[in-house]
Amino acid sequence: MNTSPITSWEGVSAYFTFADSPTGIAISLAAAVGVYLLLNATIIRHEKASFDKHK
Amino acid sequence: MSLETLQSTFEMHQAMNVEVFYWWCTAIMFMIHTGFLAYEIGASRVKNALTSGMKNILTLSVIIPTFYFFGWWIYNAFPGGLVPGDAASSLPWSLHMGPDVQDMGTGIFFAAFALFGATTGSILSGAVIERIRLSAFLILAAILGSAVWILAAAWGWHPQGWLLTELGYHDVGASGVVHAVAGFFALGVLLNLGARVGKYENGTPMYIPPHNLPMALIGLMMIIVGFFGFLGGCIIFNGGETGWTTIYGNPTNLSAFGFNTLMGFAGGVIGAYLASREPFWTMSGGLAGIITVAAGLDLYYPGLTFVLAASGGVLMPMIGRKLEKMGVDDAVGAVAVHGFCGFYGVVLVGVFAAGFPNVGEGMPSITFSGQVTGAIIMALVGFIPGWGISWAMKKFGALRVPPQVEVLGLDLVEIPARPYPESVPAQAIVENTLKPGQEVA
Repeated sequence: MNTSPITSWEGVSAYFTFADSPTGIAISLAAAVGVYLLLNATIIRHEKASFDKHK
Repeated sequence: MSLETLQSTFEMHQAMNVEVFYWWCTAIMFMIHTGFLAYEIGASRVKNALTSGMKNILTLSVIIPTFYFFGWWIYNAFPGGLVPGDAASSLPWSLHMGPDVQDMGTGIFFAAFALFGATTGSILSGAVIERIRLSAFLILAAILGSAVWILAAAWGWHPQGWLLTELGYHDVGASGVVHAVAGFFALGVLLNLGARVGKYENGTPMYIPPHNLPMALIGLMMIIVGFFGFLGGCIIFNGGETGWTTIYGNPTNLSAFGFNTLMGFAGGVIGAYLASREPFWTMSGGLAGIITVAAGLDLYYPGLTFVLAASGGVLMPMIGRKLEKMGVDDAVGAVAVHGFCGFYGVVLVGVFAAGFPNVGEGMPSITFSGQVTGAIIMALVGFIPGWGISWAMKKFGALRVPPQVEVLGLDLVEIPARPYPESVPAQAIVENTLKPGQEVA
């Protein structure tokens, strides 16, 4: 996957993966938010299961 | 080498020095969290030791990304109040929010501010140990660390913050914007969370001893080490001829902070010892002392710093005990250390440093009324969301672990590991609720 926004380092500014692709940034950011939400969901599920076992 | 090349090389090295300075401030700030980790594990009972540790590790891990998602934008969008200004370059999809050869400032300031935010989460973390749900805590920590405190920082810790431009507010070392906000947020949560099982008998507070006081004391000392990164990060390292300034633009330097950070630590420890004779409070006095003088760290005469810090150290355990008698079970004294001393520290600047000018045309000088107003605003910005959100969580039964789980111990129920498997029997074995060797998934 070619994610490079640059073809040479001459006069480069923002150069990170997907810097020239709003779609790529949006997907990466959505995935990052997803990981954060997954953590919260996992902890809630784990708590419920653990607490139910010790009722 | 031409003069132009020399000039551009010099400017590049200045920019790199700025990055290097904040890079190491951020690294040293991690020691605050190492300290909170040891402190809270030590302050917990054996049956909750690992849960307290997990909570602390995850605090950092949720505040850092949420601060990237929206915290940095809040800081840059809200200095004028509650209506957002233009801060598009701070949104997470901006080209400034990632590696950029031409931008040697945004990332390093983002990192330092994210760690300031993580500190607020750790302040809350200690207060609520041994009975809060991990899920509830992490949501509260993300709100505090990535939204609440940074809104206060936009108002009172930003060159265009309205508390500065309207009131001349001065809080150079974040007594108000970090400590008071986090401490009062914690107070709001504690009022809804309630005390640990066994903390009160017929309304009388019982002593719940930490399982490892030496570890808690070492943790507190680590937090002090981390404070040098924290306070260093409160100074603006400017390139060019400007040199060091505070976040408000007035000149200062690390020497000023050097005098007063050390005198604040020493005064706080002595004050707390005089008031308590007790190791936990005495070591907390070091924190209380620094927090008490942090708002005026750039302005105070060191002898005055020492006395003010001592007064914070004396008052802190008194406030802690008073809250305990009132039914607030703050396991580590976070409300007294951070909330009270942060509030007190902002007010003290109004008492002892009124009249110092601020930089900029028409900018008001520091005043007593401006500092008192600022301190009250900081307390409210922390308390209202802390109380309100935790109240809603309580209504949905999502705030606190069930009583039987609390009695058994959170480690036994939630954590697939034991803190001291060969030296200390699990509480449940002692209480005959679990047979030795029986696995608990």
